[in-house]
Amino acid sequence: MTDPSRIRNFAIISHIDHGKSTLADRFLDLTHAVPERQMREQYLDRMDLERERGITIKAQAVRLRYEQDGTEYVLNLIDTPGHVDFTYEVSRALAACEGAILLVDAAQGIEAQTLANHHLAEQAGLTIVPAVNKIDLPQADVPEAVRELAELTDQEEESILRVSAKTGEGVPDLLAALIERVPPPTGDADGPPRALIFDSAYDAYRGVVAYVRVVDGELPPRGRIRMMATRLESESEEVGVFAPDPFPLQALGVGEVGYVVTGVKDVRQAKVGDTITLAARSATEPLPGYREPKPMVWSGLYPVDGDDFAPLRDALDKLRLSDAALVYEPESSRALGFGFRCGFLGLLHMDIVRERLEREFDLSLIATAPNVAFRVVSDGEVREVHNPSEMLAPGTYDRVEEPYVVATIVTPSEHLGAVLDLCQARRGSLEEMRYLAPERVEVRYLLPLAEIIFDFFDQLKSRTRGYASLDYEHWGHQPSELVRVDILLHGEPVDAFSSVVHREKAAAYGRRMVDRLRELIPRQLFDVAIQAAIGSRIVARETVRAKRKDVLAKCYGGDVTRKRKLLEKQKSGKKRMRRVGKVDVPQEAFIAALRVDRGPGP
Amino acid sequence: MKPLAGSTDAGLYVHVPFCLTRCGYCDFNAYAGLSHLGPAYADALRQEADLYAQDWAGVRVVSIYLGGGTPTTLSPEAIGDLVAALRERFDVAAHAEVTCEANPDTVDRPYLERLRAVGITRLSIGVQSFDPAVLASLERIHSADSARRAFADARAAGFDDVNLDFIYGAGGETPASWRQTLDEAADLGPDHLSCYALTIEPGTPLGHRVATGRIPFPDPDLQADLYDAACERLATAGYGHYEVSNWARAGHECLHNLGYWDGRPYLGLGAGAHSFRDGRRWWNVRLPQRYLDQVAAGSLPVEGQEHPDEEESGLERLLLSVRLARGIPDSWVPADVAEAYVAGGLARRQEGRFALTDRGMLLANDLVLALEARDC
Repeated sequence: MTDPSRIRNFAIISHIDHGKSTLADRFLDLTHAVPERQMREQYLDRMDLERERGITIKAQAVRLRYEQDGTEYVLNLIDTPGHVDFTYEVSRALAACEGAILLVDAAQGIEAQTLANHHLAEQAGLTIVPAVNKIDLPQADVPEAVRELAELTDQEEESILRVSAKTGEGVPDLLAALIERVPPPTGDADGPPRALIFDSAYDAYRGVVAYVRVVDGELPPRGRIRMMATRLESESEEVGVFAPDPFPLQALGVGEVGYVVTGVKDVRQAKVGDTITLAARSATEPLPGYREPKPMVWSGLYPVDGDDFAPLRDALDKLRLSDAALVYEPESSRALGFGFRCGFLGLLHMDIVRERLEREFDLSLIATAPNVAFRVVSDGEVREVHNPSEMLAPGTYDRVEEPYVVATIVTPSEHLGAVLDLCQARRGSLEEMRYLAPERVEVRYLLPLAEIIFDFFDQLKSRTRGYASLDYEHWGHQPSELVRVDILLHGEPVDAFSSVVHREKAAAYGRRMVDRLRELIPRQLFDVAIQAAIGSRIVARETVRAKRKDVLAKCYGGDVTRKRKLLEKQKSGKKRMRRVGKVDVPQEAFIAALRVDRGPGP
Repeated sequence: MKPLAGSTDAGLYVHVPFCLTRCGYCDFNAYAGLSHLGPAYADALRQEADLYAQDWAGVRVVSIYLGGGTPTTLSPEAIGDLVAALRERFDVAAHAEVTCEANPDTVDRPYLERLRAVGITRLSIGVQSFDPAVLASLERIHSADSARRAFADARAAGFDDVNLDFIYGAGGETPASWRQTLDEAADLGPDHLSCYALTIEPGTPLGHRVATGRIPFPDPDLQADLYDAACERLATAGYGHYEVSNWARAGHECLHNLGYWDGRPYLGLGAGAHSFRDGRRWWNVRLPQRYLDQVAAGSLPVEGQEHPDEEESGLERLLLSVRLARGIPDSWVPADVAEAYVAGGLARRQEGRFALTDRGMLLANDLVLALEARDC
């Protein structure tokens, strides 16, 4: 075990693309953690999925040995997820640290995620080591970035480090500052052990591996451990550190960061934020800050092929072993058949789950348009609604509440007007506005989550020529004038197309869906009315005119084989249709109509 | 009087793959600039007939159809020799229907008189349109006048079984111009009319122009309007609408083509010709020179064959027979489908049969798919 005085636990926090992963690579180089020939870029971003997406989904921790002035230090670098869907995971990773490097791109300056992460790090009581990155770039404005960082962190400009993670310039100074400024961990070495789980991963052979930071006491390599929040006990099989490959140890002591092979088989049994202690010598108080994962976005997942329902269920059962935040319940749709209503932390999480289901389990899926969870309050009783089709008719409840977020947006001041317009159009209310520099503004808005989960970020980018940045955190629920819009085909409501939207936007939503479906529904033998309705009131209507011609003009002796094959093709196309009442709707129409709207317009 | 065809009575098809020019819409096996092969090709047809004669002995042939291409690129004498040769080799009924397709510009009155004399009983003239703008967009070399003259010559030559072919919905066609073409056709008073909606075939120059967006895909609703106009005008003129694209005075239905829709056997001779007998279908090599070479070598010029299985045969039977005004046995149609079609004015039921109406015929594919969906 390492003497805590020689340990520094830290994270690198930054806006996306400000160079976090490249800086981690340089740390690996300087500490000779990875043999040179095995080194590759963004070494710590392990999962294939992460590498392709260029973001980090799962936190990783790596132990670095670094000698300075004759003393060998252990530097534990704890990587944090870079997306707002995983804010809670970020907060737990930060809770495992004493310090954080706040990294800012010298060409970009402070961005929304810089502010949000700095805020989280301050809340966690961390020592901030501010550093300006990419000083080698021709377009870098180092003095301006230094000024902004000094102001944000309330530090002297002289104490801001200047580095190029790409060339390595200034990186040794950054490590020196880290050792000097970040306090070593402290804890009760003799007390009952307490270790914070800041991430967990599922290994097919070894079960759940928990990433932990030991706060008090000592974790032995094997023994009966207890998860204090879930009150679950199991036999741990190994402890160790990532250096960066797994390296078993005899024990993890105060201040150390490493892993525990927990002996449980489901990540739900070793949740992020929980405290591990020993059954035989149990701590009485868990570490603070534990929270149940809370799905914010819901969507119905249906197999394209109805026969794939059981394989989809098996796939979800397997996936949840490695994804504690994924929740699902079976549901059925008249239009789509049997499937699951799934809860996700956010849209990115939803995309990841869908992609994994399709890629790792070879499933072809239809996803309904995602929605947030609403609260329907009647007679003081609160019911959470995850599916628009469960939304009650107006008048049968006291009120509906929807989740809100506080969004932080940083934009060049020349685009401020466009940003404010967008936020107003999305039912936002301005909370705060602050100039970071004469030409850069930070605005904070209270916004309904439902208004930002779809295309808000794309809209923000396009209205600010790509310059604005966004971050947000969940705020709570607030009453709202929400109504359910139903889409009817030939008089039959199509449950998969129902959506809960704000009253003022209901007609526009209905119009958009009706227009879109008119393009997607093939002509039938009769006129098909496509209607959008709020309750019994029709707010939009279009007609797909009856098909008049579907025949082969010529069919003689030499044509029969070819025409038969043509009809066989049409026949297999027809088999893939779903029938809604009397109307045949192709699978592709469902997929296209339910595709998350990335188009223009708020 | 044409013979009555039993289900085992056969048709003979003879393909003549030569044309003066190629039309932009046409995807038939036809070639411009090869007419010099004509005499050798006629010889090869006789030799191919020799190869089949024994196998088809005892099968009564009720119709012969010379199609193309443009059969009238051959001389009447060559055609006459060919028909005579077929009569020698096959059991051709005395009053068999013997059709020859003709391009207006390749025939005149003496030609047609000779054609009549050598045993052609039925003439099918490719008029396509009486509107010069439409003819131009179809890249037809003949004029409306030459089509009128060809029809008059055919009547003068004694043909009492004449078909005129039309195409509607081509570029430049308007409902008004099509009605005018129909009026003129009705006034001429042929015995039979074929009116085809322009079909965009991939691989044709027209198909290429549509695929590359240079001209729009024909509007199906406009084509439906034109079809409605044909049904109305030709009914008024006394023609029976007996198949999706075919109208005839009573007794002048094309016996040969009915054979295809009724599933009767047929033997196709010539480059690219298809044949069907006892559930087997085969087809010849398409290129005229390859056809000549193979026949000269004494072998059947067959390129491929297939035996449609039970399901495929069922689909073929269905897709062919729903095209006819006489319809299909009522028992093929589930009650709910039948009711929906009848209620929608798309079909009628009488005397144990279920038959598409004029409107329904234009949606024949849909009925086929509706019935097929029930089979699985």
